Amino acid sequence: MSASRANDALQAIGLRVEGSPRVAGAAFTGNVLPLLHEVRHALERLLATGEETTIDLASLPLAPGEFDRIEAALGQGEVTATLNALGPSEIRETRYSGVWLVTHRNATDEVMGRYIEIARMPAVLLAQEPDMRKGLADLALALEGRVD
Amino acid sequence: MRTQQTLGEVLASRGVSRRGFMKFCASTASLMALPPAMIPRIAAALENAKRPSVIWLPFQECTGCTESITRSHAPTLEGLIFDTISLDYQHTIMAAAGARAEEARHEAMKANFGEYILAVDGSIPMKDKAFSCIAGESNYDIFIEAVKGAKAIVAIGTCAAFGGIPMAKPNPTGAASVQDVLNEAGLQKPIINISGCPPIPTAITGVLAQYLTFGELPELDHLGRPKAFFGQNIHDRCYRRPFYERGEFAESFDDEGAKKGWCLYKLGCKGPVTYNACATIKWNNGAGFPIEGGHGCLGCAEPGFWDWGGFYRPLSQGDWGDWKTLGIAAAAGAALGIASVAVSRVKQARARQEKS
Amino acid sequence: MTLLEFARGPGLQGALLIFSLGVAWRLVGTFLLARNRDLAQPKGTSTVKAGVRAMIIRSIPPHELEKRITFQHITGYAWHLGFFAVLLFFGPHVPFFKQFLGFGWPYLPNTAVMVLGAFTLAILVALLVRRMLHPVLKQISTFDDYLSVVLVILPLLTGFLSYSHVQPLDVRYEVLLAVHLLSVEALLVWFPFGKLMHLFYAFPSRYQVGAAMQRKGVQA
Repeated sequence: MSASRANDALQAIGLRVEGSPRVAGAAFTGNVLPLLHEVRHALERLLATGEETTIDLASLPLAPGEFDRIEAALGQGEVTATLNALGPSEIRETRYSGVWLVTHRNATDEVMGRYIEIARMPAVLLAQEPDMRKGLADLALALEGRVD
Repeated sequence: MRTQQTLGEVLASRGVSRRGFMKFCASTASLMALPPAMIPRIAAALENAKRPSVIWLPFQECTGCTESITRSHAPTLEGLIFDTISLDYQHTIMAAAGARAEEARHEAMKANFGEYILAVDGSIPMKDKAFSCIAGESNYDIFIEAVKGAKAIVAIGTCAAFGGIPMAKPNPTGAASVQDVLNEAGLQKPIINISGCPPIPTAITGVLAQYLTFGELPELDHLGRPKAFFGQNIHDRCYRRPFYERGEFAESFDDEGAKKGWCLYKLGCKGPVTYNACATIKWNNGAGFPIEGGHGCLGCAEPGFWDWGGFYRPLSQGDWGDWKTLGIAAAAGAALGIASVAVSRVKQARARQEKS
Repeated sequence: MTLLEFARGPGLQGALLIFSLGVAWRLVGTFLLARNRDLAQPKGTSTVKAGVRAMIIRSIPPHELEKRITFQHITGYAWHLGFFAVLLFFGPHVPFFKQFLGFGWPYLPNTAVMVLGAFTLAILVALLVRRMLHPVLKQISTFDDYLSVVLVILPLLTGFLSYSHVQPLDVRYEVLLAVHLLSVEALLVWFPFGKLMHLFYAFPSRYQVGAAMQRKGVQA
């Protein structure tokens, strides 16, 4: 059987989605509100003392659909940055300034980690000293090559 | 085979930036179920960690544990971890085969004597050691020889940790766990049991990462499993717990309750007595876990789960026997009753006589 | 074998065997005892109807005694009803009975069961304390009295602990569940040998009295 015929045969299996538990589950498992409260307290601390907080979303038993609700609740802010190191990562400011959603993916686009970071800027966005030193050495080399 | 390169050097040589390294450390912290606050410490430790030699011995197993670990996060993280450990022998995935492979194993054991980590998956048959052999050598002999120079043993999967499915009644091969074999041989080595059928891949790599980072074995529970992954039971972290609390149970697969995602207690879920990280870390990169897919937990990380009376028998049911046996007991009781009546009636008659 | 494996296996089997044997022994041994033949002429007929009536009427104490035993009367019924409600209508218990009977039934929401269970347990404990302190009760109470009430309290108490997964002293859930099952098994084992047999004797006994009195022409 050719690939397309096999695919057609697969599509012919009648799949009917009945009342997605994603919606039902998320309504009752209640991780969203406590998490948002935690974010609020962290933001208060950041403003008061400058203390940064990172929340690892992988450590919470989220029901199906809950992560989407959290994401929707946090929304989109002014900044979105993409990091390309060992795969793509997205660092997005949420609608609440100082609250960032960081998603790390590996080279095959699988999610490696999801964090909510409450900081002026997530540390991973800052230029790192070893990288800067290497960059400086490379720049110096490049300039020497151009001196005439 | 053995290299003195540190992980930091390995990464730098592969052109991984500091940012990339930080990302790697964050993922590793997540993997080890450590709080994000520990990331700087992990970074410092990993930078300077030396590459330990790991020898992986497969015994009476289904290869599911190897499948699990290679199926996990992809090349990037696993590749890094496996590049940082020096996986000197793993006969499913190594390139060498046959005599060459066995030679590689012996050389690695000799070169790293006293320092290598011995990873074992599969149980060891004890009834007749010839039941499971590699290249003519029995699993038992290979194991005993390898244990001598091992720094620690990682028993990967429920078979190695507790005996596993081969041990199910009537245990025809005399399957034994790593700990059982060590006890029988009178040997002692630190063992980490990473149980699960198969174990969650991040549990395997997390333990290796932990060893790399801290140079010591993680904190273990009373069954020798790392508390980071086996410290909580499924029931306590299950997202369907609120349904249990309210008494909303699915009565059969595909009924209304099941479709609404209700608790699977009545369909035999062993979540309350099983300790694993399935409910938080989940499977297939967080896609889900058995309960989320609508099937009760099998208890596959626990010893004896294979003989718990059936995957669909709820915890409130047991192996109570049958009506016939109870009927026989009742008949025996009735016979006893008749005997005691006979005695009583004699006493009653005597009492009546004395009265008159 | 772990404690839970024992409780769900040999423990359950053994307890049920002892229960079956013991109850059969006692029932046969009691009902077949000789009774004095009533040699007088029967003065009343329809003894069966009277017997059945007595079973019902004697569930309510005679009004002359009511004032003195109100407390015992109400608390007694309350805890019995609460106990059976929890036993029969708690979600996870239904499969327990289904394994013997082959059928189940609808059950109450957990909150209701928890509230009923809490009341039942409180009343039982209060009654136990009363039994230990009351000047008359403490003189006439036997080992059977104390053991029977303790064996009824334990399943309720351990049930709460295992349901709520409370972790006193860091005890694991599988141990709490095993202890709960074992407490039920202990109750089953003691059952045939003490006053708990009133489950089987109470109604036949009332029937007997009602029928006998009716034969004598007296309303029981």
